[in-house]
Amino acid sequence: MSAAPFRLSLHRLVIHGVLLVTCVATIFPLIWMISSAFTPNEIITARAVRLWPEDPTLSNFTIAASRHPIWVWLWNSILTATLITIGKLLLAVPAGFAFGRMEFPGRRALFWFVIATMSFPTVLAIIPTYIAVVKLQAFDTYGAMIIPSIPYIGFYVFYMRQAFRSLPASMFEAARIDGSGLWRQFLEIGIPNVVPAMAALSVISFMGAWNIYLWGQLVLEDGFKKTLTTGIATFADLEGTEHAWGPLMATSLLSIVPVLVIFLAAQRFIVDALAPGLDER
Amino acid sequence: MASRLRMLAPYLFVGPAVLSVAIFLYGPLIASALLSVLDWNLLSSDVSFVGLGNYAAILASPDFRTSAWNTALYCVILIPAQIILPLILALMIHSVRKSPIQGLYRGSLFLPTIVAYSVAGVAWSWLLNPVNGLFNEIFGFFGFPKSRWHTDPDLALLCVSLVTFWKTFGLNMLLWLAALATLPHELREASQLDGASARRHFFTISLPLMTPTAFFISVTTFFHVLDDIVGVIDVLTQGGPAGRSSSLLYFLWQQGLQFFQFGTASAVAVIIIAAVLAVTWLQFRVGEKKVHYG
Repeated sequence: MSAAPFRLSLHRLVIHGVLLVTCVATIFPLIWMISSAFTPNEIITARAVRLWPEDPTLSNFTIAASRHPIWVWLWNSILTATLITIGKLLLAVPAGFAFGRMEFPGRRALFWFVIATMSFPTVLAIIPTYIAVVKLQAFDTYGAMIIPSIPYIGFYVFYMRQAFRSLPASMFEAARIDGSGLWRQFLEIGIPNVVPAMAALSVISFMGAWNIYLWGQLVLEDGFKKTLTTGIATFADLEGTEHAWGPLMATSLLSIVPVLVIFLAAQRFIVDALAPGLDER
Repeated sequence: MASRLRMLAPYLFVGPAVLSVAIFLYGPLIASALLSVLDWNLLSSDVSFVGLGNYAAILASPDFRTSAWNTALYCVILIPAQIILPLILALMIHSVRKSPIQGLYRGSLFLPTIVAYSVAGVAWSWLLNPVNGLFNEIFGFFGFPKSRWHTDPDLALLCVSLVTFWKTFGLNMLLWLAALATLPHELREASQLDGASARRHFFTISLPLMTPTAFFISVTTFFHVLDDIVGVIDVLTQGGPAGRSSSLLYFLWQQGLQFFQFGTASAVAVIIIAAVLAVTWLQFRVGEKKVHYG
């Protein structure tokens, strides 16, 4: 009998051990990236494993900035990710409200029409969209980067509909009796009560838009129009990986830090949005 | 007047979303179907109707066949891995859920999911670097011969699979964790009284209760696998060596946007759409029968 608690805790110890090893292995590439970003470029390739920078320095950032406009890239990333996020919310929030709280002919069909796009591989739409961008002479503009990235809203509409649906009907009843129109019900009762859902979607959208890679690489060719994630690809191509590991790592780190900060700050929201109910038990 | 406005109101709310999806997502699909019967590239002004010529050409192309075969391999490797390994991790995290560091486990395992493809490519091309990468250093330390990893034709596909897995398993892990969190505790207590082992409890009670999640994960994982490998291939191998790590979507990307063969690329797009629809239909046919809605 007395062996049972011991066996149980040994069991847990093994689980903790396996999880710890898996976690370290998973984040190892990122740890290495951080330590390389602060290690002088000349000695970076001398050792394969380095968990802490020897001779810490910021020189990699200045070298990177002298070769590529990395601060412009940073600004471009912030700008495009913000505008894409705003665009997605402007489309998805009213649609979610109507699908969740209004009765109208064709509601089901239109809802599935929007939701089905969740299954579209992003590459499928790229060629016709690219032709349109070239024909409209929108190549190398922020618009070409931002506008076609907005309509991937299937998940967002679905999620906002759930959020509006979960609000009690009596809330809107009361407003209707007070004579509020649909528009005012939406703005004054709907929106203020779904702020957490909107926050979660903003974070998910911002992180997704920040990391848009294939499309950005295609329509942004001008060095000063690139975002960090597309710029890094050029960086790696141009310099090769032999000489500029340090500056490349510094730029990569620069591209991770903002999303990392947002992720850590909003982890609860994201977990909630992707997996509702997880933190309740 | 006012009542007509009331009738119209819902459509004003959903209109922008529906229209944007129609123009930017359904529109290109239809355009692809039209382009697939034309011979056209952006540089020349000649457009000619070739009927099914593009389809015949790609079906005869060895590169297309290699990438179709590779796509099947990617699915066979990644879909089970992306479903089962995140489930095992979720079960382990769930079993230590009262521990203060379970959030740390969850967070660090989810971390690669937020990293851009280009950044993942930079990090992994160093780890796998054939000359002085970490993997080879470790191999050397234990006295194994060095490997060429993603530049070896026989290993390239596995390396792309590994990096894709690293970059995307966090999402499914979260979904499994959510399903586990909603299972009623009393069931485990009851089955424990009946003397059921943890394993038996999992297979006879927990898993059947999670079939809606399992179904959702199996459907979405299929789409995600197709989509996610494109970015990884582009940053790690560019489909090489000799097309040995290419996939159908990457073949499309190359045909359309590196060689500007829009007709050919669109024919590939149509074939992919048909395949995705067929597999989705099959999943629903098979899945719906096995899903247990509580």
